[in-house]
Amino acid sequence: MISIFKKYVPAVLLGSMMATSAPVSAQDIEEPLLADSLVQLAYRRVAEADLLGGSEKISIKDLMEKNHINDLNSTTLKGYIPGFNGGSLWGADTDNGGVLILIDGVIRDLNNIPPTEVESVTFMKGAQAVVLYGARAAKGAIFITTKRGQQGDLRVNAHASTGWAVAKRMPEYLGATNYMLMYNQAQGNTPGGNPNYYSDEVIYNTATGANPFRYPDVNLLSDDYVKHTYNRTDADVEITGGNDRARFYTNISYYRFGDYLKAGEAKHNYTDRFGVRGNVDVKFSDHVTGYVNTAATFYGARSAIGNYWEAVNTFRPNRVVPFIPVDMINSSAADALQTVMNSNHIINGMFPGGNAANSTNILGDYFFGGNQKFISRQFQFDAGVNIDLSKVTKGLTFGAMYAIDYATSYYTNYKDEYATFVPTWMNFNGKDEIVAITQEGLDKHSGIQNVENSSSRQTQHFSAQFDYTRTWDALHNFHAMLVAAGWQRSQSGEYHKTSSANLGLGIDYNYDHTYYAEFGSALVHSAKFAPGHRNGLSVSGTVGVNFANIGSLKDNGNVNNLMLSLSASRLKQDMDITGFYMYTANYEKEGWYGWAPGGQAAQSPRRGPNEDLTFVTRKECSASIRGDFFNRALSIDGSLFMYDRDGLPINNSTKLPSFFSTYYPNASFIPWLNYDANRTKGFDFGVTGRKKFGEFELELGVNGTYYKTKATKRDEVHDDAYQYAVGKDVDGIWGYRCLGFFQTDEEAAAVDQSALGSASLGAGDLRYEDVNNDGVVNNQDRVFLGRGGWYGDPFTLGINLTAKYKGFTLFVHCTGGYGANALKSGTYYRPQEECKYSSEVLGCWTPENAAYATLPRLRADAASNNNQDSDFWMYSRDRFEIAKVQLTYDFASSLFAGKVVKGIQLFLSADDLLMIAKNKKIMETNVGGAPQNRFYNFGATVSF
Amino acid sequence: MAAGVLMAGMASCDDMFTPAIENIKDANTIETEANFADQVLGNAYILMPYSSSPYNDVATDDAVSNDLTNTWLTMAGGAWTSQTGVSNDNWRDRYASIQYINIFLQKLDKVNFESNENLDIMFHDRLRGEALGLRALNMYYLLQNYGGYGTSGDLLGVHIFTDPFDATQDMNVPRDGFRACLDRLLEDADEAISLLPDTYVNIRTNNEVPQKYAALGVDMANYNRVFGPTTHMRMCGRIVAAVRAQAALLAASPAFAASGMEWGQAADYAATVLDKIGGVAGLSATGHLWYTKDEVGEPDAYTDHSEIIWRDGGGKNCDLESDNFPPTLYGKGRVNPTQNLVDAFPALNGYPISDARAEYNANDPYTNRDPRLAAYIVTNGSTLAGSVVNSSVHQPVNDNDKDGLNAESGRSTRTGYYMRKLMREDVNPNPANQVTMSHYTKRIRFTEIFLAYAEAANEAWGPTQGGSHGYSAYDVIKAIRKRAGIGLDNGDAYLESIKGDQAKMRELIRNERRLELCFENIRFWDLRRWKADLNETARGMRIEGNTYTVIDVEKRNYGSHMVYGPIPYGDVIKFSNIEQNAGW
Repeated sequence: MISIFKKYVPAVLLGSMMATSAPVSAQDIEEPLLADSLVQLAYRRVAEADLLGGSEKISIKDLMEKNHINDLNSTTLKGYIPGFNGGSLWGADTDNGGVLILIDGVIRDLNNIPPTEVESVTFMKGAQAVVLYGARAAKGAIFITTKRGQQGDLRVNAHASTGWAVAKRMPEYLGATNYMLMYNQAQGNTPGGNPNYYSDEVIYNTATGANPFRYPDVNLLSDDYVKHTYNRTDADVEITGGNDRARFYTNISYYRFGDYLKAGEAKHNYTDRFGVRGNVDVKFSDHVTGYVNTAATFYGARSAIGNYWEAVNTFRPNRVVPFIPVDMINSSAADALQTVMNSNHIINGMFPGGNAANSTNILGDYFFGGNQKFISRQFQFDAGVNIDLSKVTKGLTFGAMYAIDYATSYYTNYKDEYATFVPTWMNFNGKDEIVAITQEGLDKHSGIQNVENSSSRQTQHFSAQFDYTRTWDALHNFHAMLVAAGWQRSQSGEYHKTSSANLGLGIDYNYDHTYYAEFGSALVHSAKFAPGHRNGLSVSGTVGVNFANIGSLKDNGNVNNLMLSLSASRLKQDMDITGFYMYTANYEKEGWYGWAPGGQAAQSPRRGPNEDLTFVTRKECSASIRGDFFNRALSIDGSLFMYDRDGLPINNSTKLPSFFSTYYPNASFIPWLNYDANRTKGFDFGVTGRKKFGEFELELGVNGTYYKTKATKRDEVHDDAYQYAVGKDVDGIWGYRCLGFFQTDEEAAAVDQSALGSASLGAGDLRYEDVNNDGVVNNQDRVFLGRGGWYGDPFTLGINLTAKYKGFTLFVHCTGGYGANALKSGTYYRPQEECKYSSEVLGCWTPENAAYATLPRLRADAASNNNQDSDFWMYSRDRFEIAKVQLTYDFASSLFAGKVVKGIQLFLSADDLLMIAKNKKIMETNVGGAPQNRFYNFGATVSF
Repeated sequence: MAAGVLMAGMASCDDMFTPAIENIKDANTIETEANFADQVLGNAYILMPYSSSPYNDVATDDAVSNDLTNTWLTMAGGAWTSQTGVSNDNWRDRYASIQYINIFLQKLDKVNFESNENLDIMFHDRLRGEALGLRALNMYYLLQNYGGYGTSGDLLGVHIFTDPFDATQDMNVPRDGFRACLDRLLEDADEAISLLPDTYVNIRTNNEVPQKYAALGVDMANYNRVFGPTTHMRMCGRIVAAVRAQAALLAASPAFAASGMEWGQAADYAATVLDKIGGVAGLSATGHLWYTKDEVGEPDAYTDHSEIIWRDGGGKNCDLESDNFPPTLYGKGRVNPTQNLVDAFPALNGYPISDARAEYNANDPYTNRDPRLAAYIVTNGSTLAGSVVNSSVHQPVNDNDKDGLNAESGRSTRTGYYMRKLMREDVNPNPANQVTMSHYTKRIRFTEIFLAYAEAANEAWGPTQGGSHGYSAYDVIKAIRKRAGIGLDNGDAYLESIKGDQAKMRELIRNERRLELCFENIRFWDLRRWKADLNETARGMRIEGNTYTVIDVEKRNYGSHMVYGPIPYGDVIKFSNIEQNAGW
């Protein structure tokens, strides 16, 4: 296969050479346009005016002038251009890798580049935009272009900003007294339960709070352990300069932020990052230029050990007393005192409390369990050369790039163990005293620093290309390129490497910047398939017309630009083929069987064989429009798109019995087949208006993206038509249709929902629809309930407002998401067994509040009937957010004439200021994780 | 050109143009690598249906679980459907085992185990015998789980597969009849028994080499290499015979009587296992305590306790104890024996406690009882692992004291009892001070086969007749009760009083079976093959001071069709020719 692939190179090269020698009279290449107006596409840049559909560009450098962004990520990039919804490009799924992130053409991480280093971002959403990037870009690509050195005197820009993250909302839980009362209620609602599980005496004593060390009421969110703000500070210095032979750019940046936690070791929690990026562009001769890019990142974080936020969601308030005063030990209980005094962890006169079931707790872990540091380093290097071969053939250039990146990360920690103590209480004359102590566990200080989870990654990326660019008769603009590219990433602990290899041929032509035709093709190669099946051909064709240059519109000064384009593509990708050798049965060692004193692993098949396993295909057609009117006072941009994803690999289980695969040993006789298919349809649009009113300048942009992906082919068999996934949205939420609460025990007894797993149902439990009317509610009655919007909200809206007056700039960025649903999940919303109770539990059904209950009746068992996925738990995620507001002041440049300082900018900003949504509270509450932030920032930029 | 050079450079990278090399093996490798062949059969050993801990006992009248999410618990409460996981597991794993066995058997002739021809012949015999024995074993469990009356009214078995299947095959084939499956099982078992030695032990003289191998010139050393103790714990003749006895008992039972299996034949099959140890005389004196520290000790990998027919190699752990010790002993108190089971233990004098002669005192229920009660169940005030367990309703001493009835959901007993059987008291599951000890999983033990014999013989020939064997149901039960330590002072007067009554004897045999085999995942299917009441409410004992109150703990909600398990829904819906058992 390699040989065929290698043969392809010279053959196509030869072809392109012959094309270059075609007898057409030629003119000089046009003067290169300014970098600002060029848009980075795959392996080339084109003038914005020549841009057909499928790609969008944001100038981050310009945006940062009015909108200071601390981190580039899918949220901070959302809402600026049509087609990107924060989760995906044109709704493409994000399975098995999703969007390809390229930084200066090299696959890299989006989370490791500060926005101050970025010139622009291109969103390559259409198939025609990514065809030349080969198999791994088939779900779209985001290309980040870093800033480069500018010719001229040394220029220095210094930015600094500091701000405070403020927790939007903390989850709310019941205190110990309410918890116990509600738990008793739950017990009472459970068959065989004990409604006096917590005695009146215990509840009373807890409620009075007279002795919180015997009757605990622990609040992990109390101000003693958690704060509501933390600081983040960013600073960077950019230095650039150069002459016509060499230019350089350097950025040195640092940030550090804290944490909401302050219990024990957590008060030292921080995360920081120090980074240096530099690049040099060199002109070796009139014909040879080159560049070198480097970046180094040092990322560190320190934290206490243990997941505090998860504990917040699980640690019940009445279970354990983390700290107990030593002086509560009865004076004659010498043994007890002695036991406790052996502890290494008496702080403020308190010893650590616990019991057999909770011999440690999160507060103990945070105070006595040690701490850990996370260290991550990345080094990136890439270099390229461009050679003008016009001496060989006019218009021919050669370019090549090679990149190598390293990333390593690891944790270091000291893990300490600690003893806790179980008090035995007695009451002497109304005073509680400890008369005996039982110890759980041991104090063990670890002198050994552990190094854990160490991981390393190496990426190599290479590409080489011939470009042939000519213009004939000042009308025929022709460009062709032949690209060979490959990259490979190896990850510690993984035997196989992630790879991509392809040859690309791109040809584009326009007649007088009016009639356009583009063709892209890639021969993609994948080692994942059987010999003879390893090459795939991707093709793409686009035609476009700029109507602004035709007929009556040409003379109409109000239409500056009106480009319509149509595109059709067929891409091959192996991203969704998740492993190597999936075409063979491949017996591997699995499990263990023993006899006599020994034994050995068995040999089990991983799958059935299928030599024909091949690429997944993306077939797409799209239409795009782009226009500027009234001297760019109005710009529009939009696309209609439809694409199929065909041949997704599955195990065809409907033809085969369940016993073709087992869990232990982990084995299967079922082959992988290219089978499932999805179809996505959607549109995007953007409208921008610009207007000046004297010194007042206004720009308003609105953009939106809508997509819908349906299953068009599935391997499935069901009893009832409504159970079929084909024809339904792939991001479907499935579950029961809830008919509300049972009003009476008799009503519950008359319905058979026993398959849902609750032993006895009664008034206040949930009733579900028997959709197929077979007399029982079971798995077959689950239906499609709504879209989940897994690859971004079905409709995403972005609104951007810029207002300028003299030196002031006000920027407001709003986003909206519509059409997605989610299920309230987890014990916070769906209480069961001995979970911690949130304040939601107060809405549980009781006979008294039956009319306005918000949750089914509490049960102390698994409550599996009530906790089934159903539309009872479903809520709409529709929301409108003011994602960013920034007020910027630029001091007038006249102040700096002849000064060392060339400019000063100050700004005040707020991130995630406001959400307007019916279900705002649910969406703003993080359960089991750190709270969401609002972020208020203040910063300055000084240029020298 | 430069591109070509660079491409060639990159071509050396594995996974870019050709996949990084892996040692790819498929079923054909069996023919070239003898150990690989054994490792393919090894899957059938891994997939065997035995568990080291009680699981389906909590879905019977013997026990409840305090884990409220336990699937067997919800199943017993009415959630059993053809889609429930427990319905699928055996269907999947038994057939998968049979697939590996069939792949192995299909290729076995081509495998060369040894260059020495005689050794090679013996290896072929042994491994073929093991494979056939395993296939019989899997068929037994398939019949137990899925045999039943289809919607057409016929007593159906499962599919009989004797060749490997692959993904291109039409799998839409009907179930075979129960009798056909049973015949297949018996045929496999008979052939396996003919190929395998009774057990894997060293012979000590050349004269002991079986005739068929002696005729080839096999000597003691070579015989022992293939059939000696280094093969111990793999399928051997007596294991296959025991499985055959289990299957025959199942087929002769009321639920499957239409199979035509005679009780007498079932008794004969059991007797073939027992005759090898001299019948009743061979009953292990400590067989009912096989799991204890004294009996398990540090087990020898090459021999078995006299009670054990088949076990695994086991290992040092405290898993059972972590799960089932009471909370004060750092356990989760999972399996809670019921009052129903406690009541099934007779008085020390052998009379059932419902009989006045038992002199049962409801206010002092645990004294003067069958010693097996104290051996198998932790009752209030008894000592476990050196500490007294207080499972009464009481004011806790401190936060650790959670052993009382329902003191803490998910950790304390729901019935007033904790399990003692299967566990070692010299273990400490306290994570801060953990002590682990050797445990092994019993797969089949002699007492079960004795009880199978007693049950079948009583039905076939009456309580006191032994057919062609020298011992009767009465003899077996007498020995088992004597071993348990009941009726020692009165010559087991109760047993004597009923030995002329086949029906009462049946009841007693079933009760002895319940006691001896409790928590060994046997009663769930026993109740079904007997067509016994599946819906007896699981009860417990609430003790407050000196007041004993019997409480209802968990209702059982099985439909009448649940005597026979369901064919998994997922396969019934795919294959129109698979007939579901009636009622599912």
